[in-house]
Amino acid sequence: MQAAMLSGCLIAVMCAMLSCFLILRGWSLMGDAISHAVLPGIVLAYWIGIPLLIGAFFSGLFCALSTGFIKNHSRIKEDTVMGVVFTGLFAVGLVMFTRTTSDIHLDHILFGNILGISNRQVGEIAAVALVVSAVVWLKRRDFLLLSFDPSQARVIHLPVRFLHYALLCLLTLAIVISLHAVGIILVTALLISPGATAFLWTKRFDRMMAIACATALFSTITGILISYHFDLRSGPCIVLVQALLFVLSMVLGPRWLKKMGRLQENRKKIKAS
Amino acid sequence: MSEWMIPFHYDYMIKAMIACGLIGLTCGLLSAFLTLKGWSLMGDALSHAVVPGVALAYIIGLPLALGSFFAGLFAAAAMAVVKAKSQIREDAVIGIVFTTFFAIGLILIGLYPAQVDLKSIIHGNILGIADRDLWQVLGISMLCLFIICLKWRDLMLFCFDVVQAKTIGLRVGVLHGLLLGLVSAMAVAALQAVGAILVVAMLITPGATAYLVTDRFPRMMMLSALLGAVTASVGAYASYFINGSPGGCIVTLQTLVFLLCWIFAPKHGMLAQGRQKNGSAERKEEQA
Repeated sequence: MQAAMLSGCLIAVMCAMLSCFLILRGWSLMGDAISHAVLPGIVLAYWIGIPLLIGAFFSGLFCALSTGFIKNHSRIKEDTVMGVVFTGLFAVGLVMFTRTTSDIHLDHILFGNILGISNRQVGEIAAVALVVSAVVWLKRRDFLLLSFDPSQARVIHLPVRFLHYALLCLLTLAIVISLHAVGIILVTALLISPGATAFLWTKRFDRMMAIACATALFSTITGILISYHFDLRSGPCIVLVQALLFVLSMVLGPRWLKKMGRLQENRKKIKAS
Repeated sequence: MSEWMIPFHYDYMIKAMIACGLIGLTCGLLSAFLTLKGWSLMGDALSHAVVPGVALAYIIGLPLALGSFFAGLFAAAAMAVVKAKSQIREDAVIGIVFTTFFAIGLILIGLYPAQVDLKSIIHGNILGIADRDLWQVLGISMLCLFIICLKWRDLMLFCFDVVQAKTIGLRVGVLHGLLLGLVSAMAVAALQAVGAILVVAMLITPGATAYLVTDRFPRMMMLSALLGAVTASVGAYASYFINGSPGGCIVTLQTLVFLLCWIFAPKHGMLAQGRQKNGSAERKEEQA
């Protein structure tokens, strides 16, 4: 239980930080695509006998890169290409999976099993999550400019191409490390909802990141507790708590902001008088 | 030779191939419209969003079509509301809504494990499908096929150019709803064949492939329907030999065909475009 909480929180914070950039870049569904595309990599890695995470990482990255390549060399729109590529990879993974007799459970990859996580996995998650979060935090200004205005980033001589691929790698790394704990479907939600919720509350980026992390932490802890007490899958519970927070923010956010705005105006008026 | 005929000796294999073929045909036809309209993500979203509808239908004992139809429309409405109420990009809105619906579906299934089989929803269950479900799926597909055949001109104009469709007096709102309804209905049918995660491929890949090959819409429709039907039945057939996962086989096949067309298509393929570029470069040199 403690292991689940710890790894859940680490994953939540890492994904929440990334989600802020994804929301701004319009990459929300990139997370969805990459998370599905890791399946053939996992099976292949199992066949060869290398760590599953490495296989998953490369096949996720392959999905992102080939999407970009096909998009640049055809007249099909990016979202369509993405759909074709990730479902194709997932299907290949399924076919390969039926040819293996293994102790990997497909269910665990699809839905994750955070309550049954092993100590070694917690260690791996902690290491990767800390590294990814640290890199994102240190490079946040560069990534931010890249997301908002790629052409200005180029003008001030940021290595745009490098940053683009770096963000892609970080994203893939985050997804891969989260899979065993939270599953394919949930990781998509973790990579969208916190950022979107925070976006409703503030237009300042640092605040947005802080709010995203806070909502992600809250919903992970609450979700795991709910799933433990009612004997439900933990993944869907976390997603539902996040969705609830999002809906609440959508309804209350603007009103609250308006009120704050009015308060500040009043204060200014009082000062002026 | 006789080894290749073995699947045809089993009733369930023949049933599966025919059903997959019909589902593939209708999905292929629909995918032509979706590709044109740029609704690929909508297909992804609706295919996940119908899961709670299907689960609920099994739990209460309603027809599948009804549950899925309402879940799909409800999800579409939720997306519209969220989009109107916030300044968030559309892709993020779609992502939030469909993951939430999927999570609700998973929890429903978790609460009533006896009535619903999670595996058959996620991976499809065309090889072991019950007759009652089979008839429903066939009925849904036939109905959708019929509606598309009746209305394809209106839908085509709606997908190409909403403004013109409005100008010549088509009821755009109705067509929008109709297309959403068709997609969610077919998402349920395809869910039986390939499972919730791969439905989106049935709704995107044939259309995208046909779009690479031809510039004329009626031809594109024919081609994507044909592709959908052939890949789906051949995929179901092939799944016999690898001992399972018809969904995986069908979609793998569709992706292979897509890749072949992407490389070799006569006009819009990668090789052809490379040739065109070289050709125009040479022509420029000659002119210079």
